[in-house]
Amino acid sequence: MASLSTTSLSFKAPSIQSTRISQVLRTPSCFQSIAFGRFRSSKSLRLQISCAAKPETVQKVKDIVKEQLALSADTALTGESKFSDLGADSLDTVEIVMALEEKFNISVEEADAQNITTIQAAADLIDDLVLKKPAAEAS
Amino acid sequence: MGAAKLSGMQKQVLSLYRGFLRAARSKTTQEDRKRIETIVSNEFRQKSKEVDRKNFQYIEYLLRLGTKQLDQLKSPDMVSISSIKVATSKT
Repeated sequence: MASLSTTSLSFKAPSIQSTRISQVLRTPSCFQSIAFGRFRSSKSLRLQISCAAKPETVQKVKDIVKEQLALSADTALTGESKFSDLGADSLDTVEIVMALEEKFNISVEEADAQNITTIQAAADLIDDLVLKKPAAEAS
Repeated sequence: MGAAKLSGMQKQVLSLYRGFLRAARSKTTQEDRKRIETIVSNEFRQKSKEVDRKNFQYIEYLLRLGTKQLDQLKSPDMVSISSIKVATSKT
């Protein structure tokens, strides 16, 4: 993805500033999970810059992933959580992608499906596809 | 999966798995669909544990077998599948 190059740059942003930005951009429901450490906040700044995925999408993806992997409801998931770190093998990943397809009523290309390794990546791709879909149907 | 690169054969297997799940989705009743998904998923998982990952010939054979079964499953006449387990003891 092209967004990767911006990713590493944003780490250089002053940490105070990045904390503030992430505070503004987060939805209230996420507040209790914010750690105001430098690393976390620069991370969320990075996410906001590198992608357009809506928080609702990310939340939906998280819910589906939890359901598919049978994780307990209070498991903390971030956008950066890797499926493999959550105990998913490649078959689980396929199942997750299929479940996402169904939920969002989209169809993920096979090549793309194999590149999805994190929740954020999945959410980005979904938002992308959802945006593209009405245009494709209209034409 | 993670960052690990998948081999061509692994991709083939995953693609087949995806095909099965897609086919299951097209089946009418929720119940049939669940059953197909359970059987397929069990089969793949079981094989992934049992089969040696270097046993290419056998995996290729399983891939061919799976593709054929998928074709059958895709046919609209096919409504559901079932499986039975036969336990064998070595004594």
